[in-house]
Amino acid sequence: MTNTGNNRLVGNSFKLGYRFQRYWDTSMAIAFFSAEVGTGLFLVSYFCNYVLGMALGLALTATLKPYFHLAHMGVPQKSWRAILRPDRSWISRGAFAVAVLVGFGVLHVIDRATGLGAALGLSQGVIDLVGYLAVAGALVVMCYQGLAMSHSESLTLWASPLLPVSSFCYALTAGALLTLVVGWGALEPRRLAGLVNLAVLMLILDTLVVFGILLSARRKSKGGAFSAEMLLQGEYSSPFRNLVLLLGLAAPVVLMALGAGSYPMVILATLAMLVGFFAFRVLLFKAAVFEPITHDLAGSIGLPSAR
Amino acid sequence: MAKMGMVFDLKACIGCNACVVACKQENSLPDGVFFTRTLSYEHGTYPNTRRTYIPTICNQCEDAPCEKVCPSGATFTREDGIVMVDRDKCIGCSSCAVACPYDMRTMLDKDMFEKGLFGTGELTPFEKQGYERFTPGTSVKCDFCSQRVDAGLDPACVSTCPTNARIFGDLDDPNSAPSKLIRDRDGRQPLPEKGTKPKVYYVD
Ligand code: SF4
Ligand code: SF4
Repeated sequence: MTNTGNNRLVGNSFKLGYRFQRYWDTSMAIAFFSAEVGTGLFLVSYFCNYVLGMALGLALTATLKPYFHLAHMGVPQKSWRAILRPDRSWISRGAFAVAVLVGFGVLHVIDRATGLGAALGLSQGVIDLVGYLAVAGALVVMCYQGLAMSHSESLTLWASPLLPVSSFCYALTAGALLTLVVGWGALEPRRLAGLVNLAVLMLILDTLVVFGILLSARRKSKGGAFSAEMLLQGEYSSPFRNLVLLLGLAAPVVLMALGAGSYPMVILATLAMLVGFFAFRVLLFKAAVFEPITHDLAGSIGLPSAR
Repeated sequence: MAKMGMVFDLKACIGCNACVVACKQENSLPDGVFFTRTLSYEHGTYPNTRRTYIPTICNQCEDAPCEKVCPSGATFTREDGIVMVDRDKCIGCSSCAVACPYDMRTMLDKDMFEKGLFGTGELTPFEKQGYERFTPGTSVKCDFCSQRVDAGLDPACVSTCPTNARIFGDLDDPNSAPSKLIRDRDGRQPLPEKGTKPKVYYVD
């Protein structure tokens, strides 16, 4: 005889109310995070002409990003199909951009490390073009994940033009800090000082963008306000305040202001920023709520709206 | 060309959930997967309160965001307007689930098939034959029981509804039952502001 006693049937999913976004999880957060951190490191190192930083950035993006993306997919063995539709999907465009970044990036790094281009008799124009293509790929990778999220009209917290801006800013911040850590002692002091200024400026910008996302979500819809409240006062307020705001954004600024000339301080600031950035990625997934089953569904079909 | 759609009559729906059960059975849906739900909505203030039942289903959107984001081409629209998922092409990226403004997609977990409907780890003969149509890891959704539509039948939920609260037919035919209802009783689409052009309407 089959026992049905403990079987959970539907929970509260048949009631009109919020339903949480549960499709993108930690594995996607790591994929996004590693791509943004790796690409930021590549881009900043490119402008510093720092080969080790570029190589590390590419390695991060080329390994962790695909690994965790594949781990998220339900049928990873068919993932090659994801590249085929850049005209329609940001996942395809992103996969394509990662391929461009890694392909041309690796060629650029090899050329910078060995002088291969010149040895093959390539003109300077062609050699530079390879680097520019890698940079173009990097710029897309730094934004596209935010673009993919902001396309999800159903999740107000994400459906903001500030999402790609936050992806780009956070990636650049991580890039500046990691280039400082990796290039300490190898880069000229003038360059290091410039990176410190860039990192502090970006941390301030990140803060403004994070609050911008919350404010716009709050204004846009009841579900958006619900998401923002969860981060500011509700279930996720303590990790949001402690990890994202204090540890990830405020602490690195203070540490850089107090001891930008000290390597341990720079390492600490970088670690703090990375922890905060990762927490931001995870919490942005967790706090998103679908609103289809909320009050405006009722309002849209002629019932009294609860808005 | 046909454009299959559905109308929900909010005055007729009594929230019996017969449609939900019929759908689960017709489509052999595993534990936790529903292609249609009948939501209960309480509104008004005491003493003038009411409960309305709102049936929901994939709206087979004409401008379907789930299809737009699908990177593999697994989601496509048939000639008669039914939005389908090709399980052989689906890579399980869940972009469609995130993009659907109505939360009408479900990702199939391996767990659902291993535990079975009764959570015992043992599958009934009904489940064994029914689960063959699914690939764990992929995305699923209502397709208006396309297998029944192809055979000239109504979707299972429509045939089962005891109060005729679900009316199915060709929206391109001005004389079809749903077209007439939409015209005569001012049919409304869910969340029109999302720009998805649902082929599901509500009348009250
Ligand atoms: S309701 Fe959702 S799953 Fe159905 S067609 Fe529209 S967007 Fe796609
Ligand atoms: S889960 Fe499948 S159907 Fe959905 S977007 Fe990804 S590939 Fe397409």
